[in-house]
Amino acid sequence: MKLLQQSLRYNIIITVISLTVAGIFMYYLLKKEIIAEIREQLEYQAEEIHQSLERGHSVSYPLVEIEKVDNSIGAYSIFRDTLIYDPLQDKSEDYYYLLSVKKNNAGNYRIRVMTTYIGWNEYSSTIFTMLFFTALLLTLLNVMASYFFNKKIWSPFFYNLDKLKKFSVSSEEPISLQSSKVIEFKELQESLQDLADRSQKEYKALREFTENASHEMQTPLGIIQSKLDRMSQAELNEEIAGHIVQAKSGVERLKKLNKSLLLLAKLDNNAYPDKTEISLDTLLKRQLELLEELLAGNETAAIVNIAPVHIHANLFLTEVMLSNLLSNAIRYTAPGNNINIFLSGNKFRITNPGAPLDFPEDFLFQRFRKSPQNIQATGLGLSIVYRICQLNNWKVAYEYREGHHSFSIIF
Amino acid sequence: MNAFIIEDEELLQEEISAYLTERGFNCEAASTYEKAERNISLFDYDIVILDITLPGGNGIELLKKMKREKKDTGIVIISARDSLTDKLSGLDLGADDYITKPFYMEELNARINAILRRRSLGINDIIRIDDLEVDTNAKTVFHGKTEITLTKKEYELLLYFIINKNRVVSKQSILAHLWGDEYADSESIDTIYVHTMNLRKKLVSHTGIDYIKTVYGMGYKWVQG
Repeated sequence: MKLLQQSLRYNIIITVISLTVAGIFMYYLLKKEIIAEIREQLEYQAEEIHQSLERGHSVSYPLVEIEKVDNSIGAYSIFRDTLIYDPLQDKSEDYYYLLSVKKNNAGNYRIRVMTTYIGWNEYSSTIFTMLFFTALLLTLLNVMASYFFNKKIWSPFFYNLDKLKKFSVSSEEPISLQSSKVIEFKELQESLQDLADRSQKEYKALREFTENASHEMQTPLGIIQSKLDRMSQAELNEEIAGHIVQAKSGVERLKKLNKSLLLLAKLDNNAYPDKTEISLDTLLKRQLELLEELLAGNETAAIVNIAPVHIHANLFLTEVMLSNLLSNAIRYTAPGNNINIFLSGNKFRITNPGAPLDFPEDFLFQRFRKSPQNIQATGLGLSIVYRICQLNNWKVAYEYREGHHSFSIIF
Repeated sequence: MNAFIIEDEELLQEEISAYLTERGFNCEAASTYEKAERNISLFDYDIVILDITLPGGNGIELLKKMKREKKDTGIVIISARDSLTDKLSGLDLGADDYITKPFYMEELNARINAILRRRSLGINDIIRIDDLEVDTNAKTVFHGKTEITLTKKEYELLLYFIINKNRVVSKQSILAHLWGDEYADSESIDTIYVHTMNLRKKLVSHTGIDYIKTVYGMGYKWVQG
C-alpha cells in the first residue's frame, strides 16, 4: 500500500472516531440541557397552577391534570416518562411529565403537567447528518490534500525513485537526482547520489582493471609463446619435447582465457555500440562452411533448417555468439551424432545429443562454470553468449530433453 | 627484403627479428618512438612491423607519418589491444594488416608474405619448389603440367607450410591460421592431422617426395633442400 493511501486511511479512521465521539458527547450534552430546560418549564408551569388555584381560579389547560387529594399525602414532586396515544397521528408519542403534590390555601393538590419531547428524534438525526457530512467533507479535503502533496512535495521523491529504478552501475551516465525542500528527502537524495556515484566509479575501476590486466598479459604471453616456438625448432629429445608441448598447451589455454576475459570486460564496457542490419542466415551459413572440415573430422553432421532472418545488431558480437554456440555443440557431441540447427522467424535453436549436465543447470551461463570432464574449456564461452544476448535484449534459453541439449535464442 | 621492427618489448623484438632474419629478411629494430621516427624518415623499408603502444609516442602517429610521406611500405600493426575500433582505425589509416598479441611467428610471417605478394614486391605470384608450382593468384598447384587438385583448406595448409619452410609449425598455429582462434580447441587438433595426411598423400603421389615431416608432439615441418 502506498504511503499516501496509508496515511489517508489513518486520517479517515481518526476523523470518523473523533466525529463519532464528538457526536455522542453532543447528543448527551444537548439531551441534558434540554431535559433541564423542560424540567424548569414544567416546574414553572406547576407553580403557576398552584398559585392560580390558591387565588381560587379554575384552571383548565391541555395536558394538565389537577386532582384534589387527601391531606395525609405529603408534598412531593417527581419527573416521569410516558407514552400517550395520539389519535390524529395514530401513534404513541414520548411525553415527559411532572407530578407535583403541594398544599395551598385551597387544599392539597396533585398536579400533573406534561410536555412532549419536541422533535427529539429530529435533533439526533440532525446531529448525525451534520457529523456525517463533516466527515465526508474532511475525507474529501484529505484526499485532495494528499493528491496535492503527491504532486508537489512528493514529486522529487517519485522522480528520484524512477531514476534509481533505471539506474545501472555499468552505465557511463552519472545519475542526476532532483533536490527537495523537505529535509528528509534532501538527505535521501544526497546519500543516494553519493552511493550511485561511488558504485559507478568503483565498477568502472574494476572494469578497467580487468581490461588493463588482460592487455598487460598479452605481451608476456607473446614472449612465452614465441620462446617456446623457438625452443621447439631445435633438435630435442623426446622428454624435453614433451615438456615443451605441455607448456605450449598451458600458454594456449591462458591465451584463450585472457581473450575471453577481455571480451567480457569489453562487453561490460559497451565497447561495441555500432549496429548494422545483419543477414543472420548468411552469417550462419558462412560459419558452417568454415566448420565443414571440423565437423567432418568429428564425424558429425549438421542438419540445417535455415530461413532468411534479418536482425539489427553488432556484426562482430553476433559472429562471436554463433561461433561460441557452434563450437560448444561440436565439443560436446560424440562422434557419429548429428547437430540440429534451426533458424526461422525470430528464433535460432541449436540442438546436440549428449549426456546430461554434471552440474546444476542454473550455473550453465555463469562464468568459469564448466564440466569437470572438460578442463581445457575456459568456462567463459556461454557466459559471453549470455552477455551478448543480454546486451541485445534477446532471450536465451537452455533445455535438456530426451538426451538432447538445446539452446534457443529469441531475437 | 628490408624489414623494420618497431616493438618496445625487447624479448619479443629479438624473437621477431631472429625469425624474419631466418626467413631471409634484413632486419632493423627500434624500441622507442624517436628511433622509429628517425629510421622511418631516413630509410625505405619493404615491410614495417609496428607496435601501437610505444614509449614516447603512439604507433598510430608513425603510421600517419609514413602515409603522409607516401612511403611505399607494407605495414603490419601488432598490438596488445584486441579491439575492433583500433583495428579498423589502423586499417583505415592505411595499415595492410593487424595482428593481436600473442601471435605465432608463422602467422606473422604468413601475413607479411601475403602483403608482399599483394604488393608484388619481389615475391612472385608463382612459388616454385623443385617441380611444384604454386600459383598464389589462381590458387592452383601444378606438378609439371598436371594439376594437383586440393581442397581450399589443403591449399591454405600447403601455402602455410611453404612460407614457413624448414620450421616446425605447431598444430595450434595451423588451427588458428585455418579456422581462427575461436575454433582452436584441443578437440579439433585431430582435424589438422587428417588434413595434413591428405595433403601429404596427394603430394607424394604426384611428386614422389614427402616434404612434410612429422615432428613428434610438436607439429609438422616442411623440409626442403
